[in-house]
Amino acid sequence: MIYEYLDIFISGLTIGSVYALMAVGLTLIYGVSRAFNFAYGSFYSLGGYIAWIFMVAIGLRGGYAMVFALAVPLLMVFGYLTEKAIIAPLRRRSDWEVKVMMITLGLALFMDNGFQVLFGPRMKSLPPIMEGVIVLGEVYITKQDMMIFVLSISGILAFRWILNNTRTGMAVRAVAQNPNGAKIVGIPKDKIFAATFGISTVMVGIGGILLAQKYFVSPMGGWDILVKSWVITAFGGMGSIRGSLYAAFLLGMLEAFVGYWFGMSWVLFALFAVLLATLAIRPQGLMGKWG
Amino acid sequence: MMNMNWKSMSAFMAVIFGVMAIMPLFVGGSDHLMHILIMCLIWAIVASCWDLIMGFAGIFSFGQVAFFVIGAYASAIFSIQFGINPVAAMFLAGMVAAACGILVGLPCLRLKGAYIALVTFAVHMILEPFLKSGMGRAIGTGGSQGIMTIPPMELFGIVFSADNKIAVFYAALLLAVVCSIIIMLVIRSFWGTAFLAIKDSKDFAASLGVSAFRHKLVVFALTSFLTGLAGAFYGHYVGMLSTRMLGIDLFVMLMIMLVIGGIGKFPGAILGAIITVTANEMLAPLGPYRPLILGAMVVVLVLLLPDGIIGLVRRFIPGKNPADSRSPSG
Repeated sequence: MIYEYLDIFISGLTIGSVYALMAVGLTLIYGVSRAFNFAYGSFYSLGGYIAWIFMVAIGLRGGYAMVFALAVPLLMVFGYLTEKAIIAPLRRRSDWEVKVMMITLGLALFMDNGFQVLFGPRMKSLPPIMEGVIVLGEVYITKQDMMIFVLSISGILAFRWILNNTRTGMAVRAVAQNPNGAKIVGIPKDKIFAATFGISTVMVGIGGILLAQKYFVSPMGGWDILVKSWVITAFGGMGSIRGSLYAAFLLGMLEAFVGYWFGMSWVLFALFAVLLATLAIRPQGLMGKWG
Repeated sequence: MMNMNWKSMSAFMAVIFGVMAIMPLFVGGSDHLMHILIMCLIWAIVASCWDLIMGFAGIFSFGQVAFFVIGAYASAIFSIQFGINPVAAMFLAGMVAAACGILVGLPCLRLKGAYIALVTFAVHMILEPFLKSGMGRAIGTGGSQGIMTIPPMELFGIVFSADNKIAVFYAALLLAVVCSIIIMLVIRSFWGTAFLAIKDSKDFAASLGVSAFRHKLVVFALTSFLTGLAGAFYGHYVGMLSTRMLGIDLFVMLMIMLVIGGIGKFPGAILGAIITVTANEMLAPLGPYRPLILGAMVVVLVLLLPDGIIGLVRRFIPGKNPADSRSPSG
């Protein structure tokens, strides 16, 4: 019995780590530029499909290391250009916030159906990043789970490092704190917005590559991820990276245990209940900066 | 924000609905065209409600289709499970939608726009699994099959079923006119002014005693009621419901209506609905490419039509009264 719970705990830890990566990407883009990206889930699927193309369709040598090496710049450029093409032109208008939501929702529909036309409606499966299991007494941990956990945590740490130690990262933080002040001291605000969008695309895309091995890739598979990332972000506090981390692990556990006890179809209801309760009791989330 | 005045709004609406009213004279023989006209009117109600919420009240609600579906299912369940007369069931369904609107609005309307969008969209997202779940089946949603045999409305001996499209059309027209007048009254009343004040300066409005939260909640409930009513009407008209309505493509279509009509340019949304529903029918032969094109259309239209058709007309015709100047072509 206790081992069963340990298994679920490990599963929650694995999912939670990937959710953390994706939620941090989402909180970053909202925190820096106040843009609400409805296509976030489609970017997740995009990551999964990129991995599928390289791993299965082309059969690239070098495995997942090569996939990451190619996917990261690709996602970065995709995110950067998307921001430049469809979000930046809207910023001049007073109602840009809602326009951004609309345009990204349109983009999501376009991308999802694009995937369906290109790859067909059937789910695609990916080979695991690592075969084999580690046996610790009665507990079995698949190396795949461990690798997913390690990679997502390193992704978050890498992101933290970029944010704290590079000039771009510092500029991102400056823009998040005070866009006008940042502009006065000569930070190219528009470039930072686009770069932030690119970074968040990379984070969710990596999430897609990591989770696709466990849950397959499908054209409409991103919507769950969008809602979950948003619930985590709201629960942890919009704009707080540490809050998102805690929230992601808590909700990853919630998902694993609710899924185990009641069935997976209850997970969304449980998350929604958490969301409503959070907003009613503590609207700024666990440790939010922007209420 | 530039709003139309009372007169030009009424004139605009009179022209649109007047033209709609005589359409059956020309296309009354075609079942398919009458169906399109009916759908134009139903969506005009939903799009106008959404415009009232988003354009005037400044609430970024993404749950409009959800309330439409809640109304449709509630009315169908009332009339099938409890044998309530469909007309009464429609009003009850509107109340259910309004109650759901209040339940959703209470925790989130005090918060910033993005949170409201998130919560209302989450309602949309969980509605499908709910309707398909054991819980949903227990209240009579029919699970993944949906509801197949919804009784049509019957009033004064006229059966408003899919076999009698002319009758349904005029009933829809009446409903659309009534809803539009209610929305216009809200916009042109103290409420509309209050929302303008809240948008311009929330703190100053609050200091004058305008409670943003209370106003938003009431408008949220009202539009949920009207949207639910429209959904119920739709359900009794087509006679069957399924969760396919909750697909993102329908939601995006509603968004296109608003973008074409112009956000916060009220009677524009009616025109937007008519154009979008008609255009969507023309896209039907494209099959699987249709949602792809709908998505691309949103991106292009949001970028190119920042103020909708009305804004476009206003830019090219420097008249004082854009609604009147365009009405001959309307």
